[in-house]
Amino acid sequence: MSEVELSRERAEDVLFRAGYWLLFALIMLPIVVVFVTSFQRGQYLTFPPHGFSLQWYRQFFASAEWLSAVRDSVVIGVGASVLSTVLGVMGSLAVQRSDSTLARVLPPIILLPLLLPPVVIGLTLLIYFNRIGFTNTYLNIIVAHTLWATPLVFFVMQSVFARFDWDLRDAGMDLGARPSRVFYHVVLPNVRGGVLISAVVAFIVSLQEFIMAMFLKSYGVQTVPVLAWTSLQSSLTPLVSVVSTFLVAVSIIGVLVSAALMNMEWLAERL
Amino acid sequence: MAGSESMFAWLGERIKGRDSRNVFLIAPLAAFELAFFVIPFLILVRMSLNASAQAGPYQPGFTLGAYRAVFASDLYRQLVAFSFELGVAATVISVFLALFYAYAAYRADGLRKSLLLFSIILPLLTTLVVKTYAWRPLLAPRGVLNDVLLGLGVIGSPIQFAPGIVGTVIGQVYIVFPYAVLSIYSVLSTMDWDTVEAARDLGASRPRSFLEVVVPEALPGIAVATVVSFAWSVGAYAAPSQLGSGAQTTFAMEIESLMLTQFDYPTGAALSLLMLAAMLVVSLGVLRLLTGSIGGVEGV
Repeated sequence: MSEVELSRERAEDVLFRAGYWLLFALIMLPIVVVFVTSFQRGQYLTFPPHGFSLQWYRQFFASAEWLSAVRDSVVIGVGASVLSTVLGVMGSLAVQRSDSTLARVLPPIILLPLLLPPVVIGLTLLIYFNRIGFTNTYLNIIVAHTLWATPLVFFVMQSVFARFDWDLRDAGMDLGARPSRVFYHVVLPNVRGGVLISAVVAFIVSLQEFIMAMFLKSYGVQTVPVLAWTSLQSSLTPLVSVVSTFLVAVSIIGVLVSAALMNMEWLAERL
Repeated sequence: MAGSESMFAWLGERIKGRDSRNVFLIAPLAAFELAFFVIPFLILVRMSLNASAQAGPYQPGFTLGAYRAVFASDLYRQLVAFSFELGVAATVISVFLALFYAYAAYRADGLRKSLLLFSIILPLLTTLVVKTYAWRPLLAPRGVLNDVLLGLGVIGSPIQFAPGIVGTVIGQVYIVFPYAVLSIYSVLSTMDWDTVEAARDLGASRPRSFLEVVVPEALPGIAVATVVSFAWSVGAYAAPSQLGSGAQTTFAMEIESLMLTQFDYPTGAALSLLMLAAMLVVSLGVLRLLTGSIGGVEGV
């Protein structure tokens, strides 16, 4: 290789690296803004801040409205996580070993809600729940979030089950064990990590979603992101940064737990 | 009747047979999707055929009035046009950047790879509220970006990036970027690096080997990234309401206002269905253009 080519390659390398680290910095920037401004002093959110204090954290923990939103978010998140994990794992297990019409038609239908604007799903469910008189806000939002979380669980489990050695299950069956026992003792221990990751991702997706939750909220029940959104309509308050810091922290913990169970690459290829 | 008897026999066989477990496993999911997705959409279609009412959300009836109102209104035409413009702009920018970033993540290893992938997964799992409002102090007329540009002497007086079109596009690109990166990355991660090495050994420069070997390999991922980014950007709500001015009103914002403030259900339903139809046509067109066939969306 000539001298000129070598130096051109080196220049390309530098450009390439500078390019993706710049993007990396831009991606992380809003998260840094959120974190830093949650510790700021003063009424109006400013970045970089002019002073630091814990006043907004104190205000958060003293606010009955915010704490009740946290409770609502947790109830809905756990509900959506449990429901979508059960539906998704069972459905995925069925589709895995079946070639019935239903098993072929179902996956694209499950996927569809992820591709529709959340505003449209929100409006569709709002009209539907009003029509059939199903007005338990918790259940309404759990259903909406389950529509989104189920495809994630379903497709993560598809790839987990694809790696599972089905001969093991058949061996269990041949030895005369009931299907439920085979599932519990043979299948589950092998796919436990995948199920756990699915449940964590489903919880986080529900916790962070706000558009459907906004359509379906009621006076008594609203989630944390919805309340954050409503407060932002009146003013850009650092209190929202406190809440956002908590929301981001939950996601970071979720990602780290999942990465520890599998690894970051595995997660990136399946989400 | 013989017909129903044989049907029961068939059902019995099914339930006793190998597939029986599968039927019971899949039934709850199928019932859920039917009850909370398929039927609600049929009700939405029915709702769009009711008449708007002065008092209450709708007047039961059977009319195309809501559709006529949407087509006749200049306001709605502008909203839809703007939503599509935003969709195209955000999609082009994010797919282009995502191809680069996904390739960087594919090539990296060790800690660097984990960091790059972490930076994609974290925003993916962060609420839209955080992803949009955090740009406001950065893009405001007296914000960080203006300070930097003024300090460098690039501009003479502050520019209002947000609220405005620049802020809206940046916010929307930021929202869809992680999805676009992952769609491309999941395809790239199955690519054999030796193919690229071979092209280079045969004398292809690195940019050329990227364009002629990597990009064609990544095409299915690029197609999925395009469709996902486009679908989400046409339906943009959070970015334009948080980072746009009045001129950046999208159809999703109008639907929110129709449903939650004006209580006009039929018009909201008609507007959504027309928008979905338009999105479907454009998405299928893009897929056909990029992959030469329809299908392949299923692997997202």
